[in-house]
Order: sequence, then structure tokens, then C-alpha cells
Amino acid sequence: MINYNQFKLDNGLTVIHHFDDSTQLCALNILYNVGSRDEDPSKTGFAHLFEHLMFGASTHVKEFDVELQIAGGESNAFTSNDITNYYVTLPANNIETGFWLESSRMLSLDFNQKSLNVQKNVVIEEFKERYLNQPYGDVWLHVLPLAYQKHPYNWPTIGKEIAHIEQVNLDQVKDFFFNYYAPNNAILVLAGKISLEETKRLSEKWFGPIERRGTQRNPYEQEPVQTEARSKHIYNDVPLDLLVKAYHMGGRLDADYYSCDLLSDILGSGKSARFYNRLVKERHLFSELDTYISGDADPGLFLIEGKLMKGVSFEVAELAILEELEFLKNNPIDPNELTKVLNKTETNIRFGDLSLLNRAMKLAFAEFLGDLSLANTEIDHYLSVTTDSLLEVSKSMFVESNCSTLYYHAKI
Amino acid sequence: MILDRNIAPAFHAVKSLNFPDYHTYEVRDGLLLYGLNAGTQEVIRLDLIFNAGLIKQISLAQSAFTASMLSEGTSHKSAKDLAEALDYYGSYFQTRNNADDAVATLYCLEKHLSKCLPLFIEALTDSIFPEKELQIQKKNSIQKLMVNEKKNSYLCKKSYYANMYGKEHPYSSFSTKESIEAVNRESLQSFYSSNYILGLKYLMISGKYKDEIINQIIEEMRSTPFQLDSSENLDIQGKSNQGKHFIEKNDSVQSAIRIGKQSISRSHPEFRKLQFLNLIFGGYFGSRLMKNIREDKGLTYGIYSVIEPNLIGSSWYIDSDINTKNRSLGLEEIYKEMAKIREELIPEAEIETARNYYLGSFLRSLDGPFSLADRLKILIDYKLPNTYYPEFVEILNSLGAKELQELAQKYFSEQNIVEVIVGKK
Repeated sequence: MINYNQFKLDNGLTVIHHFDDSTQLCALNILYNVGSRDEDPSKTGFAHLFEHLMFGASTHVKEFDVELQIAGGESNAFTSNDITNYYVTLPANNIETGFWLESSRMLSLDFNQKSLNVQKNVVIEEFKERYLNQPYGDVWLHVLPLAYQKHPYNWPTIGKEIAHIEQVNLDQVKDFFFNYYAPNNAILVLAGKISLEETKRLSEKWFGPIERRGTQRNPYEQEPVQTEARSKHIYNDVPLDLLVKAYHMGGRLDADYYSCDLLSDILGSGKSARFYNRLVKERHLFSELDTYISGDADPGLFLIEGKLMKGVSFEVAELAILEELEFLKNNPIDPNELTKVLNKTETNIRFGDLSLLNRAMKLAFAEFLGDLSLANTEIDHYLSVTTDSLLEVSKSMFVESNCSTLYYHAKI
Repeated sequence: MILDRNIAPAFHAVKSLNFPDYHTYEVRDGLLLYGLNAGTQEVIRLDLIFNAGLIKQISLAQSAFTASMLSEGTSHKSAKDLAEALDYYGSYFQTRNNADDAVATLYCLEKHLSKCLPLFIEALTDSIFPEKELQIQKKNSIQKLMVNEKKNSYLCKKSYYANMYGKEHPYSSFSTKESIEAVNRESLQSFYSSNYILGLKYLMISGKYKDEIINQIIEEMRSTPFQLDSSENLDIQGKSNQGKHFIEKNDSVQSAIRIGKQSISRSHPEFRKLQFLNLIFGGYFGSRLMKNIREDKGLTYGIYSVIEPNLIGSSWYIDSDINTKNRSLGLEEIYKEMAKIREELIPEAEIETARNYYLGSFLRSLDGPFSLADRLKILIDYKLPNTYYPEFVEILNSLGAKELQELAQKYFSEQNIVEVIVGKK
């Protein structure tokens, strides 16, 4: 059970407080409601590049990291399709340093050309390291545009192409900052050895003076229902064939989300999972075969990704997956199998809650989704899934007209 | 009162570190169970540590395959039955082989331990290495190797160890396709009998648990055939093949780089000081390598340096993936930074920032039962006293620029350096 209190400052900043005195630390997590889905399709990778810029100078603080390190703190951040999330952990008695640093960069970042140039290069190297210089690194650059034709989940957070990052200029950076990095577009979480009173006092002191800003969201289209199967073949210098199947599923708050998550465990998680036993071990069709869900706020994807055993054709491998999915659609799941994945889910949640920072992020994300209580009630949603609902969801989701398939061929 | 944002709020440096109490229980005849009861969630991690790492293997891939085959079946349960049973209680059974040991771990909720423990112990004491499962693992593992061999970073790492310690040294024994094909049941069974059944070093439980859990583990362990490890570790001195090594990969947009040299072991009196010097040089986001090569020049997404202290050999190295076009500039800057830290005194402010950061990072890593367990394992493996971490406060507070420079001259010289680059000519 994660305890919490919530309040709002006059400028619209949402603050959540979670108390834990078993630690000597305090975590400060700030979530900005902006991700790659808010980008212009011709300027992708912007939200993530911006995250890098936030670690540069602000008007009042020359070196964010040095000031944090000298107080014994550490920070990092990540950008997803939906959000940009920053976090700082400090010895609890130094938490005011975190308030000072985070509020100062929210108030006014110091935009400068040199920092922009350097971070563009760093992000371009990140693009190369993760997406171009790795075998199969570019998979998502192919799968996402296939699965999403309208919705901005069409591109990965790093961006569609390096050229988009190269083209960013300082004016765009400023506009983006004043539009999205606003107190009324952020959720602040304080977790650890800090009282509610102190959280209120310091939030008011450091974030209170920042003015509300007129955040305008970039409107985007929802993805229309897919009506026919899509596929793409690519050929690359990789050693093995890779097959990816992406089925559209609901969003994070949709009723079928929990069923989809459990279905992905039934099929692909651990050594007792169906795919592993039937397709990897019994039939030797794949050397690895994983299933997972994208977990995005808007309707996401149920993904099946497998490397084919040398000598096995795409036709045979894909047919075997489809047979398993057919079986799933036509035969109710054994209640023991459901209990098994529920037990696994409970373990994962409890182990995840061990970390103070995880708890802070979980609270921020639940509030972002619009239901703070989710931080504690997630398990109940899983427990309410029945074998009937699993059957229903698989029947409607695992249909080929709802699927995008990527055939990633090993070039001989 | 108007808020002055130009002035940092007051802060306090970490004044003391505390390694929490842990308990030691004797399971039987010298076999110890360490217990670290901490945290807020009723979850458990149980580790069994075996002297079954790379340093013990006679043929390539033996240590890795024995570890990964432990979950593949016993005389009473098939691999699938075992996985079903353990998964049913939501537990995770992991085995991993390291350079110096192998660890089998059970993760589960405290309430399910009594169900999971017998299964975990059965898998470890009655492993039969079924031929069918072995064949599957061999095929899958060859496929994984094929993918790894396409990665510059993997090729770089492999060549680095071979050149750092010599091709015959256990730390450079990377599996090859041929060595995987040659793996057989007999060799795994023999490795298992001598290094698992006769090679148990100790047990460790961490998490939040009731006292009776300890009794359950001791009870379950009593009737096992495990014997306390009493073997001697070979002392093979690695011999470096110094100099520059280049592996050509013409399709690369980035080059993988590793530059390093042999270093001192964890029990060396200067080790903790050297760790701090390494932190300043390349061990954190505020380090010189990061600031210069990433944050000032934008040549890489990341660059770091690390000391890797193992039982029969330690090395210190710098690792990065650098933009091919600017590779020579990157290399030049790395060597410049090495020269600079040897030749110039580190400014006091830089030492203070690093010191405060480092002590704060200890506070973070001594938080939570599992990271504490990782620290405790280091104390046990290297026979270090409980004061090892708390003493960092005093060591860092008395360490000045002069002494750091002497350390840099001693340990960060260009003598005996091994440089490996994988990338475009």
C-alpha cells in the first residue's frame, strides 16, 4: 500500500506527497505532460532532444548537475510517447536543493546555441548507438509506421530520422519550453523522509512564484480501426530472420488493458509460457519468442517478436504463431494458468514497489492517467480479469486485419 | 521576502554511513546463511553462491551451460513441470555464472517461500541435464552468439579481455560456436558435481521476512548433499598483449572503443582511493570524460571508466562508442585527459563535488534490502570488514589533490596500455 496526499498550488501545479521514513533518502519526481505524441510529424524527436537540454544551464543555475552532485544527489530523466519524466534523489536533509534546481529550470531555462548544438550531436550519437549500429536496432522505425497511419505513435521517441534532429533551431526550443514546461502542465511527487508540511512549504516557496502558462496542445488524430492486414519485408545485414506481429489493443485506461497484459504473460513470459514450450522447445521454430504490450496512454500495441531458427521459413514460423492464437481464441484458459499469471503479476508489483523512486514515478504516472488511486488498485484490476474476458479479448484482438507484420530478413 | 534563486539552499555533506546489522546463521559444519532483514515489502531474495565461475571451468562454455541448465529438469520433474510449479507461485528462478562464481537466486513473495523453497532446492541438488533440453539450449545459444558477433561492443569487449589477460586466461574465455557445439552432458555433470554439489560457498537471504523463514531454510538445507567449497583457486597471472588492436567493421557508423590496463584488487590498501580517483576521471555523469567528450564536444552518447576487480586479475578501462568521423579526436581527448590528471592537481572544488556525490551515492546503494545484499556479497567474497563502506567517509575526507595525483601517476599511466577499436578503417 502506497500512502499519499495530494494538493494543488494556485499556479496549477499538482503535488503528491508519499511518506516513507524507512529510508534516509528523498526522491523528487516531476512529470511533464508532453511526449513524442505531441510533436509535429515533420519535427519528430523534439521532446526527447528537449529532455537533454533541460540539463543545461537555467537563468539562475549555471550547472544543474554540479549543484546537485555537491549536495549528494543524482538525477536522470526519460521521454516516452506520452510524457517526459525527470527525477532527483538526495539525502533527505538536502531535498531543498532538489526543489531549487527543478523549480529554477521550470522557471526559465537558459537557451543557448552551443548547448543546443552539443546536445543535438549527443542525441544523434544516441540514435546511431541504439537504432543504427545494432543488429535489428531499426525494427521500431519500420513497425510503428506500419501499425500507425494517423496517430503520432507512428514514430519512436528518438524521432523518425536524424535530419529532424539536425534541423531543430533555438526559437522552436523556446516555444516548446514556454508551451509545455508549465506548472499547470506538470505533476510533482515528493517521496521519502519528508513530512507533508515540509512538502507544502517547499513547494509553495520554490514552485509557487512560477506563473501559470497557456499550454496549447497540438491536436492529433486517433488511429482509425485497421481493416486489413498490413505487412512489410526488409532485408538487412543481420544473422537471423526476425518476425514481428503487432496487434492493436486498447489504451492504458481501457477495460481490456489488464486482459491484454495477462495474455502476453500467458503466451510469452517465462519458461512455462505457451510460446516458449510449444514453439521454441517442442517445435524448434524460434530461438527466442517474446510477447509484450506497449503500455501507452492512447490505444497501444500487443507485440509478438521472435527470431527464427536457422532453416525455418517465415511461412512455417508465422503459421505456428497463428495456430497458437487460434487455440487461444477457441479454448478457455485453465483457471490454474490464470492464477499463475496473476501470482506473477503480484510478485512484479510488490518487487517494483520496493524502490522509493519507482513508487514516486508510479504515483506521477497514475495521476497523469487521471486516476491517482491506480497506484494501489492496479492489482484489483488484474484480479478482476476472468477466463471469459481473456477469451473475449483474444477473439477480438487476434484477427489478421488488426495486425501489422514485419518480416526482417537476414541478407545472405 | 523575495526568493533569491542565485543562492543555493544550505546543504549538509554526508557525515556517516551505516552498514546495517545482518545476521549469520550456521546451517551445518561451517556452511553459513547470511540474513539481511530490511525493506518495506514482504518479498524475498535467496541466493546460493557456488565456486562455479569461469575460473573453475576446464572447457569453454562449461560454466555458462551448467548454470543455465540447472532449471532444466530433475529426476522427478521435467523442465516444464519445474517451470510450471515455480511460476505458479509467482516466483523467479535465475542462475548466472560470473567470472569468479555462479549464483542461483530465488525471488518470491514471503508468503510463497515454503512452497517455492523445496522446488528451488530440488532443482539445484538433483539436476540431471537432459540431453533433449541441452540440444535446444545449444541451438538457441549459437543463434544468440551470431547476433552478438554482429555487435561492435561485443567484439570489442571480447578482444579487450583476450589482450588484457591473454587468450588462455579464464576471464577471456568467451564461448565460440565450436565450443558450444562441443558441450556435452558428461562435461556438465562433472562440472556440476565438483563445483556445485561440492562447491557451495554460502547462502544469503535478503528482504523482509519473519524469523521462521530462517528455520525453514536451515531445515531444508540440512538434508542436502551440498558440501562447503574447499577448493583452491588457481592463481593464473594474466599477461597483457599491450598496444593497439584494431578490428575492421566497415559498415559501422560508430566505433566501439576500450582502453585499459591491469589494476589493483579490492583488498589492496589503495583500492578505495583509486575508486574515487576513477570517479573523477570517468565514473559518473560529472566526470572529466563525460564533460569533455560528451557534454562539451558531443562525440558520443556515453563514455565511462571503471575498475573491474576480480579475484585473479583486475583491470581499469575506459569504454565508449564514438562517432566514426571524429574517432581520432575522441581518442586524442581520452589520452589528453589521462595526461592531465597525472600532470595537474585536481581543483579543490572538483574534489568536493565528487566527494559529496560519492557519499550520497553510498547512501543510495545502502538503501533497500537487495542493494544492501549486493554490498554484503562484496564484503564476504573479498573478506572485507563491516567497516569497509562506513570508512569511505573518513578516507574521502582526508584525500587531497596531491595524493590523488600520485595515484594517477601510478595507476593511470600509459605504460602497458591495451587499446581496442572496432569500426571502420
